Amino acid sequence: MSGLSAEVEQAIEAIGAGPQGPTVGAFFDLDGTLVAGYTAATFYGDRLRGRAVSPAEFVRTVVTAVDGELGGDPTRIAHVAFSAMRGESEEAFADLGERLFRSKIAGTIRRESRALVHAHQRAGHTVAVASAATAYQIAPVARDLGVEHLVCTRLVVEDGQFTGATDGPMLWGRHKASGVRAFAREHDVDLTASYAYGNGYEDVAFLSSVGHPTALNPHRDLRAAAARLGWPVLDLSDPVGGSLLAAGRTVAALAGMNAGVGAGLAYGLARGDLRRGRNAAISLATRLPMALAGVSLDVLHPERLWSHRPAIFIANHQSSLDIPVLGRLLERDFTIVAKKEARWDPRAVVGSVVIDPAWIDRSDSESARATLAGVVERVRGGTSLMIFPEGTRSPTPVLGPFRKGAFHLAAQAGVPVVPVVLRNTGELMGRSSLVLNPGVVDVCVLEPETDWRVEDMSERIAALHTTFEQTLAHWPSGEHR
Amino acid sequence: MSEEDVERWTAAATWTASAELTPVQTLLWRAERHPVQSSTSTVVVDLDRAPDWERLVAAAEWGTRLVRRLRQRVVDPLVPTAPPTWADDPTFDLGYHLRRERVSSRDEVLAQATQVALRPFDRSRPLWEGVLFEGLPDGAAAYVLKIHHALADPLGTVQLLSMLQSGRREHTPRKPLGAEPATSVDADPVELAVAGLRVDVSTLPEAAVATARTLAHAATRPQVVVASALRYGASVRRLMTQAAPPSPELSPRTGKRWSFLTLDAPLDPLRAVARQGGGTLDDAAVALVLGGLRRYHERRGSAVPEIPVGVRVSLDRADDLGNRFAGAVISGPLAVEDPVDRVAAVRGEVLSLHTERALEVLDVAAPVVNRLPSFVGAAALRTAVPPDAFVLTLPGPPRRRYMAGAQVQGMYVLGPLPGAALTVSLVTCGDTACIGVNVDASAVADLEALAECLAEGVEEMVSAAPAADGQSVGPT
Repeated sequence: MSGLSAEVEQAIEAIGAGPQGPTVGAFFDLDGTLVAGYTAATFYGDRLRGRAVSPAEFVRTVVTAVDGELGGDPTRIAHVAFSAMRGESEEAFADLGERLFRSKIAGTIRRESRALVHAHQRAGHTVAVASAATAYQIAPVARDLGVEHLVCTRLVVEDGQFTGATDGPMLWGRHKASGVRAFAREHDVDLTASYAYGNGYEDVAFLSSVGHPTALNPHRDLRAAAARLGWPVLDLSDPVGGSLLAAGRTVAALAGMNAGVGAGLAYGLARGDLRRGRNAAISLATRLPMALAGVSLDVLHPERLWSHRPAIFIANHQSSLDIPVLGRLLERDFTIVAKKEARWDPRAVVGSVVIDPAWIDRSDSESARATLAGVVERVRGGTSLMIFPEGTRSPTPVLGPFRKGAFHLAAQAGVPVVPVVLRNTGELMGRSSLVLNPGVVDVCVLEPETDWRVEDMSERIAALHTTFEQTLAHWPSGEHR
Repeated sequence: MSEEDVERWTAAATWTASAELTPVQTLLWRAERHPVQSSTSTVVVDLDRAPDWERLVAAAEWGTRLVRRLRQRVVDPLVPTAPPTWADDPTFDLGYHLRRERVSSRDEVLAQATQVALRPFDRSRPLWEGVLFEGLPDGAAAYVLKIHHALADPLGTVQLLSMLQSGRREHTPRKPLGAEPATSVDADPVELAVAGLRVDVSTLPEAAVATARTLAHAATRPQVVVASALRYGASVRRLMTQAAPPSPELSPRTGKRWSFLTLDAPLDPLRAVARQGGGTLDDAAVALVLGGLRRYHERRGSAVPEIPVGVRVSLDRADDLGNRFAGAVISGPLAVEDPVDRVAAVRGEVLSLHTERALEVLDVAAPVVNRLPSFVGAAALRTAVPPDAFVLTLPGPPRRRYMAGAQVQGMYVLGPLPGAALTVSLVTCGDTACIGVNVDASAVADLEALAECLAEGVEEMVSAAPAADGQSVGPT
């Protein structure tokens, strides 16, 4: 139900039941542990595409990588990469890290890893990312997870440029272990009470330096070692990067959506009732594709979707999947507010025929106000409104700040706000992914909130934002079923 | 006759019953180039008084009847078609193996023990030799036992010795004896070779079929086979190459000049430090030796961050003593000052070995290498880069033991130096850790300084233990 495996639930419970407070440390490896795959590969892929890599460097990199796999020094590959970065600007590289985080890496953060990090944070533990990667790879991930400490490889920077050397050893294997021990001394962390999570064979020394090691999605050799050493193994589900099957289903889903729209509209035309036709189209256009893509919904408090209509429905936004999911939930008699630029987005065209959005021209406040006045009228006339108050899709499940527009509309139209919390749509369909993976979307409809006024609006929005965050952090159980 | 003694002695009687040498023993036996690639361990047993000579001889007579192997010799087949075999030595003469000498100090005992160890065995006789040294101050004595690895590895030697010792000072009449072996093994070198050949020929069709099947199997899944072979090869390469480079302070090694020294440490604080660092007594022993070597390097003004150290890794579970062991080389940190931190670092290094699928490579390779001429085996053993030091922990008797009426005060194992600058063995004797160190005197410029540094290393480890209130950390 929660979307977390029973083993992870158990581990989280054990963390909650264990010792609390900052003297307990929790150390997470980055690549393969917090995120699926290698962030360094993402960075290198970007360099390759940007043609920043000379053929000679490419060959050297490949040879070093293969040699590392064949029992050579596995850290040499990184040193090859570091020395190739000589003379580059640190600032530009940090920006690249941020860009790659938003476009690629954010989507690879494992949901269950996030849940483990949050469990340690709730317990007040000193949480750190311990990795051989550089801060430029780790910092955005750590920030997103709310992790303050990094134990990582440091690159030497002179006059804002990389020298190609590292400050101290690369934190790999034994050096990562000693880095963690040094960190523990500095921060008064009791290692015997601490936790560590890692996935590679080089992580054994790092893992063995704490009292509670866990091999997380371990590689073959670490798995064998964990079995021999009696360490727990946790296998987390990966945010699937889109298998061929999933891609095929997505195509089928899109076709289904269009077919649904067509069929619904045809029905409406045949019955001479465009409104019924639209509603039928929404229903078909959301049910069909989700069924085809293998996506189903698990809704807590579905009755709240119907108790206060018309209403302003607000939801958190991570994925293109959110719109069909909400269409499926609201079923009929609703519309959305969208920015004018999106009008000719090929994906929006189909939907816009059906739900007739209110297009807002953000560049022209006069017309925007007029449009919104029209929207208020439509809401009063019985059409509910669907708004993502974050304004834009978040790269990760971390909630962005809420804008006030939706709440002003609620106040003006005199209708309630119905908050809808979505979980894991981002897992099934990444922020910028075009592929939909099968799975279950968790939905929790919160208590509708009425009587919106300008006076106390800011406080109420803040409170609602907190409620969203808490719902995402502690997903309520389905006690009503 | 105490219950416990009987139990121990009965176990001794059944000790290593197998007639053939194991592949690894065979490899060591055939590859031996004394003393450089020696497989000889020496045990120095400190005794509180000189035992009665007649009683000691009688005990040896009894012991060699109880543990049959002590009266057997190794018979090699003419050509290596079969493993060597143990066979009763019809010319066995206790007088050849056991003798007594007079010395005036313990240092002299160690010097004499070195000479005993450096003399090669007569490979046609049972592979042990015992010397009782009398005349030490206060009437004390020392028993030095030299034993070949084919007869017993250091672990087996300590086991055997503790099994044969008594729990009481008084003489025990009517001690048990093992059953007489049904028949003596036929041990003619030519016969052995022919028999081995006969087995080879008779199993040839089967072996051919099995090989063909394996190949066919491999042909259907080439990717899996190649990938797995590459991974194994990578693991072998990592095990062979990735330890630290040898320290210049511990070379050039000739392996021909041995020097023995012994140290004592109370066990409880050592165990406490081990626990603090999240490690075992083994890890603490390695950390202790590294502490001593760290000081030695410092004293010589040499900045070496890490040295290769040979350790024994249990193949079963890391925390258990287990039955199967593999030797492997780790990078021992010399740069870590804090003893507890050093234990943790060693622990991490040792546990990391458990990811290596090729850890048992010697066990796998030995049967193949043994079919080749002995110089190939010797060369094969030399391909692995020898570490600067071997460190070994051995469980000894948990309580006071007696040898022919003399109380055992300490038991020190001095292992061979196959390419290393020093071999350190820690034997747990009651509440004391008896540390025996064999040093290649040609590799160490200042032997005296090394001995002092190792003693300081012991001191540092022991004082790093938390002094629990109300409990003394010393021997109780």
